[in-house]
Amino acid sequence: MSSGRCAACRYLRRRCTQDCFLSPYFPSNNPQRFASVHRIYGASNVTKLLQRLPTHLRSEAADSLYFEAQCRLEDPVYGCVGLIFLLQQQIHSAESQLIKTQAEIAVMKSQTQHPQTQPFRAISGSNNLLLQQSDNDANLIFSNQVSSGFI
Amino acid sequence: MGSGSSPCASCKLLRRRCAKDCIFAPYFPADDPHKFSIVHKVFGASNVSKMLQELPVQQRADAVSSLVYEANARVRDPVYGCVGAISYLQNQVSQLQMQLAVAQTEILCIQMQHHQDDSALALPTQMQHHDDDDYKPFLLPTTHNLDNISQYINFASSSNVIQDPAATVKRESLWT
Repeated sequence: MSSGRCAACRYLRRRCTQDCFLSPYFPSNNPQRFASVHRIYGASNVTKLLQRLPTHLRSEAADSLYFEAQCRLEDPVYGCVGLIFLLQQQIHSAESQLIKTQAEIAVMKSQTQHPQTQPFRAISGSNNLLLQQSDNDANLIFSNQVSSGFI
Repeated sequence: MGSGSSPCASCKLLRRRCAKDCIFAPYFPADDPHKFSIVHKVFGASNVSKMLQELPVQQRADAVSSLVYEANARVRDPVYGCVGAISYLQNQVSQLQMQLAVAQTEILCIQMQHHQDDSALALPTQMQHHDDDDYKPFLLPTTHNLDNISQYINFASSSNVIQDPAATVKRESLWT
């Protein structure tokens, strides 16, 4: 840094030396980035976290710290964990819908192949949907494949 | 709660007297020193204290749980932390969306074939009709600032540092 300070040193009101550790990851053109990270982690914690990493990984680590800090500032209770919850719910919902759709496809295909087949007997339990053809041509068993989930 | 004779895990680690109104005491009991240790390592005690003070009391327990989760994720994956898990889950959602689209297309094809063959089967129309909620696109909420999430998805696919994000998501039990 010739004359301009990096965002970290500007925020901390200190002189930004040529070998300032944080300057590569908190450039002066994005003061918000360091402000967010500092509010959540603190400058010394960020420095310690980054120092433990190989040089080529520090930039990505700084990016992820910034992302998590932003999430925490927007949602002080859950931070980015709220996002994880939401994604888990979306996966659960998509899996359920996929299983339902695949079951419908199987039924439709079966009806196409065996149009004279007796009506299906459907038994739905808490986790399993069991469809049995009365002629025992095929037993279609679909179990709930939802993952164990977040909790 | 903190008392003079039994300091909470925070005050024990910080080697200070645990006051009756210690902000950490309800959430960092003495019998689980690791919990505060890891949060202190990542966020710092003073930052955690500030965060908790800014929250209503009834929300602090959840906040602590999420901080512990994030801290654990960061210790397990020092480069990506929770972001690794988020990008992994994003990929899962995308894959499931694709599979769902393929399956729904297949249903349409079968139905079209039935119509073309002038089949006698009376397919229930609700097979084609879904509640609006079912077709809700799995988009991330706008309440989160996710402008940078796409670069993290690229991180997940290009980097060899991801430390089993599936384990980060599934192993951790946030609320006991």
